[in-house]
Amino acid sequence: MADSFLHLARPLGPVSVGTAPSTAPLNVVIQPQAVFSILDHSLRRNADQNRVIGTLLGTRSEDGGEVEVRSAFAVGHSEAEDQVEVDMEYHKQMLALHLKANPREVLVGWYATASELNTFSALIQNFYSGQGDGTWPHPAVHLTVATEAGKDLETRAYISAPVGVTAERAADSAAFIPVPYELRYGEADKSGLEAIANAKDTEERSTSIATDVEALERAIEEVLSMIDRVSRYVESVIDEEAPASTAMGQFLLNALALAPKVEPADIEKDFNNHIQDVLVVSYLANTIRTQMELSNRLATAQLTLGGGESTGTGGHEGQRNNQRGGKGGNRPRQDRAQAEEARA
Amino acid sequence: MAEVQSPIAAVKVEALVVMKIIKHCNQTFPTTATGALVGMDIEGTLEITNSFPFPVVELPTESHFDNAAPNPAASAPRVKANAAYQAEMIRMVREVNVDANSVGWYTSANMGNFVNMNVIENQFFYQKELNERTVALVHDVSRSAQGSLSLRAFRLSAKFVEAFKENKFSSEDLQKSTVRYQDIFDELPVEIHNSHLITSFIHQLQTPSAAPTDLPPSLAALEASPYSKSSILTPNFDNLALNIDPYLEKNCDLLLDSIEAHNTETNNYQYYQRVLGREQQKINNWKQKRTQENATRAALKQPLLPEDEWQRLFKLPAEPSRLESMLNTRQVEQFSRQVDAFVSATTGKMFAAKGNLLPGEVAK
Repeated sequence: MADSFLHLARPLGPVSVGTAPSTAPLNVVIQPQAVFSILDHSLRRNADQNRVIGTLLGTRSEDGGEVEVRSAFAVGHSEAEDQVEVDMEYHKQMLALHLKANPREVLVGWYATASELNTFSALIQNFYSGQGDGTWPHPAVHLTVATEAGKDLETRAYISAPVGVTAERAADSAAFIPVPYELRYGEADKSGLEAIANAKDTEERSTSIATDVEALERAIEEVLSMIDRVSRYVESVIDEEAPASTAMGQFLLNALALAPKVEPADIEKDFNNHIQDVLVVSYLANTIRTQMELSNRLATAQLTLGGGESTGTGGHEGQRNNQRGGKGGNRPRQDRAQAEEARA
Repeated sequence: MAEVQSPIAAVKVEALVVMKIIKHCNQTFPTTATGALVGMDIEGTLEITNSFPFPVVELPTESHFDNAAPNPAASAPRVKANAAYQAEMIRMVREVNVDANSVGWYTSANMGNFVNMNVIENQFFYQKELNERTVALVHDVSRSAQGSLSLRAFRLSAKFVEAFKENKFSSEDLQKSTVRYQDIFDELPVEIHNSHLITSFIHQLQTPSAAPTDLPPSLAALEASPYSKSSILTPNFDNLALNIDPYLEKNCDLLLDSIEAHNTETNNYQYYQRVLGREQQKINNWKQKRTQENATRAALKQPLLPEDEWQRLFKLPAEPSRLESMLNTRQVEQFSRQVDAFVSATTGKMFAAKGNLLPGEVAK
């Protein structure tokens, strides 16, 4: 077991370099929220700070083989030539606050916004992977997101193994081992990312939220452009301008085979049924709305007819109210019948 | 009535906040999730730059979909413990240069069913107790799952706040203040804003590698390659699905619930009317009797009995508040608009599908 190996290795402090690197194989999954948090923190760093650090939270799979980074929060720190100060008190408080709201998430590691690994990195890494407050006995994940201007955003994930020549040096040294990572987003994040991506090419970097129809339009346009692209490719293959590929041909053929083969009469029938359902529901919804509005209007308007002082008016009102109530009583039943129909 | 201008004209939401809200709302779905928003307002635009969820007590599963059941998460924003949590959190994030103004709260909704007393009370609490410039962001989980993101910002209108403060929701008050169900909320336009880093991050996601790719050697290789997976940045093709039944069914259910609620309200009101009528009748009888008695007494030269004793003897029932039915109407409006929007998209899709499958029909 990899974990038991760590269990043995950690408390011993300095170990020979040769045994260290075989730490647990680890797959790191990053959710976009975490990356966005890190990027936001990077933007909000103090002017004189080269990099900022923070804590990563997430979940760990049963066997410890996969770590999912779900969120992150910033931790203040300052670096000088020869010393580093991390606000550990802050980290602890923030962690406690965070866990209160997200009881299922645990501490999984930390991030820095520069790809450089130095002595300070090792020091912080040892803190995060240590016993007590750290991730021990699991390895702590260190994520670097380089946010240097003019360069690509480069993300790297590491875990560490203890290394050091003497016991004194063990605290500020660690062997960082790169581990694979992937960016994963759920079905639910998709719509959000899509909306965010809409703003990517605009000058002011903002966008309004699309309505259903607009979203549909965009999806259709995208499909059309894909079809265009594919047909262009096919044409160029036919014209012998582009190299042909059997695999590609098979793939396209499979895609085309997905088109359903149905009788026109059936389509006609299904189509009509479907569209009637949809329209009936829409019609009913609007009828209900109008009815309710009317009923509310009547309820607030009736007092203009008389103050309700005399019995005559009161009785009259009651009667009218009864009528309305009666209608109200019948209506839902009808609606329900129709709604059930529509549903079926 | 003087129209008080809302202090905020628009809401600008950072991409980070959008993602955080989506994450939180989905985690707890279908239970309601709530959280706080921080940011600042600049010349009428409220910029929401960060958010954090409120801690909630775990709910038993049977209370799902039941708005009537007490829901600790839904009322979380105005609970005292959470106010302390929020203050603490804001104090903490201030240290790492995050905007430290509370600018509102967010909640999750299921098919737009967010018009209820909880939301009203929360937002009222925010607008009155904390800061006039606060909004409620509503993220509709079910609708977002349908394809396009549904994130809306609401405030209580000044008129409504006025009425709500004094709990003036009898028919008479409503007539005077002319608060209608359309006046409960002011909806604000929502914009999503990306930072430069996020913009470049997204651009980078889109172009994974610049190297020209070789043609795949086999079908299996092609299917396994990253190219056959849909990219993040393409529009969501779930939009194109023709499967409408679950959506409409859910909407019908919600509408039926609303009708039921409406009926209850009407019945309550009717009951009130009946009781009122009966009491009035009794009072009138009593008054007539007293007048007759007094007439007899006057004839017999006896001292007259007081005529206004009925005020002590009879009690008129209190008029039920019309707030619930107002909210209900607003809710129904919300549903029907939702259905409308959905139907317009669906009919478009269906005609397109039909035209595609029956090419001859279109030409006609």
